[in-house]
Amino acid sequence: MNTMFLSIDKLRKTYGAVVAVDNVSLEVPEGEFLTFLGPSGSGKSTTLYALAGFDEPSAGDIRLRGASILSTPSHKRNIGMVFQRYTLFPHLSVHENIAFPLRVRHQSASDIAARVKAMLTLVRLEGYGARMPAHLSGGQQQRVALARALAYDPPVLLMDEPLSALDKKLREEIQIEIRRIHQETGVTILYVTHDQEEALRLSDRIAVFNHGRIEQVGTGRELYHNPATRFVAGFVGDSNFLEVADAEVRGERARITFPDGTTLANVPVHGGASASGTGELMVRPQSLRLSTDGSGLPVRVRDVTFLGDTSTVLFETAWGQEIWLRAAASQINNATPGANCHLEWNATESHWFA
Amino acid sequence: MLLSYRKLGGLRIALWAITLAVCLFLLVPIIFIAALSFGSSQWLIFPPPSWTTKWYHELFADPRWLQAAMTSAKVGLLSAALSVFLGLLASFALVRGSFPGRGILRALFLTPMVLPVIVFAVAIYALFLRIGLNGTLVGFVIAHTVLGFPFAVIAIVNSLEGFDKSIEDAAVLCGASPLQAKLKVTLPAIKLGLFSAAIFSFLISWDEVVVAIFMASPTLQTLPVRIWGALRQDLSPVIAAASTILVAFTLVVMALAALIRSRMNK
Amino acid sequence: MSQTTVAVERSPRRGRGIGPAVPAMLLLALFFIIPVFSLLLRSVTEPELGLQNYGELFATSTYARVFFNTFMVATVVTAVTLIIAYPVAWLLAIMPQRHANLVMAVILISMWTNLLARTYAWMVLLQRTGVINTTLMKLGLISEPLALVKNLTGVTIGMTYIMLPFVILPLYATIRAIDPSTLQAAALCGAGRWQAFRRVLLPLSAPGAAAGGLMVFVMSLGYFVTPALLGGASNMMLAEMIAQLVQSLLNWGLGSAAAFVLLVVTLAIYALQIRFFGGMR
Repeated sequence: MNTMFLSIDKLRKTYGAVVAVDNVSLEVPEGEFLTFLGPSGSGKSTTLYALAGFDEPSAGDIRLRGASILSTPSHKRNIGMVFQRYTLFPHLSVHENIAFPLRVRHQSASDIAARVKAMLTLVRLEGYGARMPAHLSGGQQQRVALARALAYDPPVLLMDEPLSALDKKLREEIQIEIRRIHQETGVTILYVTHDQEEALRLSDRIAVFNHGRIEQVGTGRELYHNPATRFVAGFVGDSNFLEVADAEVRGERARITFPDGTTLANVPVHGGASASGTGELMVRPQSLRLSTDGSGLPVRVRDVTFLGDTSTVLFETAWGQEIWLRAAASQINNATPGANCHLEWNATESHWFA
Repeated sequence: MLLSYRKLGGLRIALWAITLAVCLFLLVPIIFIAALSFGSSQWLIFPPPSWTTKWYHELFADPRWLQAAMTSAKVGLLSAALSVFLGLLASFALVRGSFPGRGILRALFLTPMVLPVIVFAVAIYALFLRIGLNGTLVGFVIAHTVLGFPFAVIAIVNSLEGFDKSIEDAAVLCGASPLQAKLKVTLPAIKLGLFSAAIFSFLISWDEVVVAIFMASPTLQTLPVRIWGALRQDLSPVIAAASTILVAFTLVVMALAALIRSRMNK
Repeated sequence: MSQTTVAVERSPRRGRGIGPAVPAMLLLALFFIIPVFSLLLRSVTEPELGLQNYGELFATSTYARVFFNTFMVATVVTAVTLIIAYPVAWLLAIMPQRHANLVMAVILISMWTNLLARTYAWMVLLQRTGVINTTLMKLGLISEPLALVKNLTGVTIGMTYIMLPFVILPLYATIRAIDPSTLQAAALCGAGRWQAFRRVLLPLSAPGAAAGGLMVFVMSLGYFVTPALLGGASNMMLAEMIAQLVQSLLNWGLGSAAAFVLLVVTLAIYALQIRFFGGMR
């Protein structure tokens, strides 16, 4: 078995001089929930639209079970898609919306009725068949859209920020629904979002897009704990970036020196940077602790914000950079604005980027 | 507060007085004509000495009036159908196309609406004299399609712009061919716009006088042309009867349109 | 991370897509653009090549009078409709919805009533033995019937009647779009009613007034039916003159020249409008 279920191979899309997708390659095993995460304009939606066949790639290939799908027109690709905006057919009832793909496939009336019923059950909208889309809430509309996209058993389901028009609470509710439906149907899902929390919550793996390229592909844990690039480090999870005056690389680790002379050994090196030099150190706010013995990075407290369970503290380094930590409120009782203290963290939880 | 109805004070009364006067000014002539068409006075004395339907009898006794009405209906329906068809295609290009000069094309499509009709009337008259379309049904339909087309474009472009292309894309991904998706999803979704386009372009043709005066021959006249001809001779109450029917017909079409529109909206 | 990789996302295939517009373009090219241009061509080729038609048009006092009449009537009609329409549009924009619906219905019905029917009504109303004259005489306000028709007075009254909706509607739309809180702000700044009207409401509604006014002015310049029926033979307006030159006198050269003048003035006014008020409504 060396043919991957879905492979995107050196995909490239340009609009005139603008490169929207730049050499994107990706392998997706059957049944995976893969999310394209990135800021707007990073090429994630363009890649999705190339899969749907609405955007013809300038170069590269997309293969499903080993066969290229690029020459197949959209309506024959048999791919399901849920769009960012509500795309129910406004003149058709919920039932007829879900039946639409089955009718254009000339299925028998009884098959259609059974399938629509099963789909309504799947998205938990039993009894809504006769409703018109205008009489549904946004969340319900997207669930019907999901049912319609799954009705014809597509091998791949594309979802283009389907929850971006919904409010936060509803969004979380439907995220749970989507996970359940993924588990029940086993369909391969490619999901586009710019919301890292949504990506972490839903996905088996995440592909982080930036400037038309994929920066890193991996599970949420991998991206969080082992960001391959500075961009991933900054985009997934909260982060502090500290200026590094000098770094000595020894194998996979580096010994770094901050502008104020403080040093830190055993820092993981990323992005294939082997040469020593300057750069930036990323450390998560949660990894920081106030040191009790006067060792670590000397800083001054600028501001303390109480957030209930946790507090955040904003510090300033000796060379004027801001750095913040988050911790249980009880652990940082003694931090008051203006106070001088030291910050320490486990060197292996920080990352140096050249 | 000048834009708060409740706080206008005395100004409100003044504004209402003017508004009511204007409403009367706009309505009275129409009602007046309808009343006169039932008055017995040959000289259109108002209030009429007594009431009668003899002008309507006279109107219906003259086959030329009926013929003119039939011609009007034929020209109106045909040019409305053509306007909507061409307008639909053109709107797809204007809304979905990405060719250079799209804005210019849009402006061009609307020019027949803003140019003085007399210029177009004389121009098309000159052309039709030369190619022998003057005084023919085809000539009438072509000329009125040019005039009705901009209204069709406006109505259809509006509704097509309000229609999310993603819905059509969704239909295509569901397995409908691009043409099927347009016929089964897009057209039903913009049917209100198509309907308005049809009504507008029909009424434009139905009420059109200037081009029709040039286009008409003694044997082929629309209703407005006949009224025009009669008006130039005298102010006979038969014209009042014909006008009343014309107005009533327009009102019926508008009322029906409003009714169907509210049905569709449900 | 070069400069050029600023990507345009969410841009499904749109193609070029001019194809469907081709039939309509053909229709307009064959039956609108070509006829209009060949008409204009005739103004400099008939009876012979040259500008003598334009010379004759501007030098002959009869024609000059027609131009003067046309501009006079258009100007007066525009001014009068603006003054009458403003209070109506203003009230319409702020009155309770159910009243507004009624007033709107009246405006729309009048607008969609056949033009000939409405003009006919005014011919009857304004004639020597018409209701207006008989009423005025009965009231003893006049002893002789006024000449209200077959002259420019009749044309002006009839045209004002026809044009009113075309000013009320754009003005209404503009005033409706004004945020009432701007006037509250004006009041808080110390502006009295007159000040608030002159310094806030009037300037904010000016674009609507300009759009409606220009539209009426342009329409009036080229109007045919109402002036032809309510005006007299000695008080012709431009459109009727063009029709007569072409249809009765068969003087295509002169008729085309007059049509061209009308066309240029119309386009110039639209160009002004687009230049100053951005786009035509």
